[in-house]
Amino acid sequence: MDELELLKKDWQRNSGDYPELSYDEIYKMSHAKSSSIVKWIFIIGLLEFGFWFVISFALKAFGYGEQIKSLESNSFFIVLGILSYVILLYFLFRFYMNYKNISTTDSSRHLMKNILKTRQTVKSYVAFNLVFLIIATFYGVYFSLQHDESAKTLVETAAANGEIFKFYASFIGVTVFFLALAIGFLLLFYWLIYGLLLKQLNRNYRELKKLEV
Amino acid sequence: MNKELEHSFVEQLQKHQNIVHKVCRLYTNNQDAHNDLFQEITIQLWRAYPKFRGDSKFSTWMYRVGLNTAITLYRKSKRKIKTDDFDSHQFRIKAEEYDSTEEDQLKLLYQAVHELNDIEKALVLLYLEDKDYKEISTTLGITEVNARVKMNRVKKKLKTILNP
Repeated sequence: MDELELLKKDWQRNSGDYPELSYDEIYKMSHAKSSSIVKWIFIIGLLEFGFWFVISFALKAFGYGEQIKSLESNSFFIVLGILSYVILLYFLFRFYMNYKNISTTDSSRHLMKNILKTRQTVKSYVAFNLVFLIIATFYGVYFSLQHDESAKTLVETAAANGEIFKFYASFIGVTVFFLALAIGFLLLFYWLIYGLLLKQLNRNYRELKKLEV
Repeated sequence: MNKELEHSFVEQLQKHQNIVHKVCRLYTNNQDAHNDLFQEITIQLWRAYPKFRGDSKFSTWMYRVGLNTAITLYRKSKRKIKTDDFDSHQFRIKAEEYDSTEEDQLKLLYQAVHELNDIEKALVLLYLEDKDYKEISTTLGITEVNARVKMNRVKKKLKTILNP
């Protein structure tokens, strides 16, 4: 006999061997807190949106007040600032819509696709922020060198000593180093959080996709 | 959500709770994990229930939500699967009903099924429940032809596991 047929016979014969839960037990269970990955993706997603939103305010509170104020009056930064809020709203809207589309009554493949789409929205927003961070940092450095008095003095001193190239090179080098460090840290954080959270889902989604090739 | 809806949900689930147990049986390897998954499936069923229109049978709808929870929403515990674990309590086979050869064979078969991946287990579960390929394909979101092909591969894989 085919192995699965033997298993089927046993499976159907033993279908009544499970412990029977009472009405109250089932009622309590249905109202318990979920620990599904969708819930975590939603919470972490919201925290990420919150993190990037708060970071702009945090910068103002810690020491760079004056510099930020002078940057804020710069038209390039005004446009960048407005753009960032519009984009945040757009991503939040997409995130919410994708989240709402997640339904356990869909086919497994469709459900997985929708979960990954929700996650992708946050991923795109993070990528946007990283690009934004790079542009803002370089423009901020350029702006400081042009307008900040102490920075100007440093440039002049370096020029007088004939070390202007060395000065710019080290300035850019330090900026790139700290940017890379910050981005590297963030990417590691994301890789750990989402890597662990979505490992199983990604594996199963790949398996289903493989079947359709 | 109103009390009437809650009542009808709990009543129906209580009546068909074996389906949830069966999903848990394939996807977990110990009693704690079984209870944990059972609870998560119950939560997801209750959440989806207001949209249950009755177009399909309650049991068919339960399979879909149950399997989706097991293979997509639920995070397995890191505990290493020990096949002996489930044999002792989840796969208790009434000895008087079988001859020992068949019992041994079944034990090996259940162990082999536990070695399959999540998608293969889903196929096996639906097959054991006598679901046709149309239902298997719509539940998983693959074509009927691919469901058949995959099922044949699963059968071969089980043979290889049993006769290495």
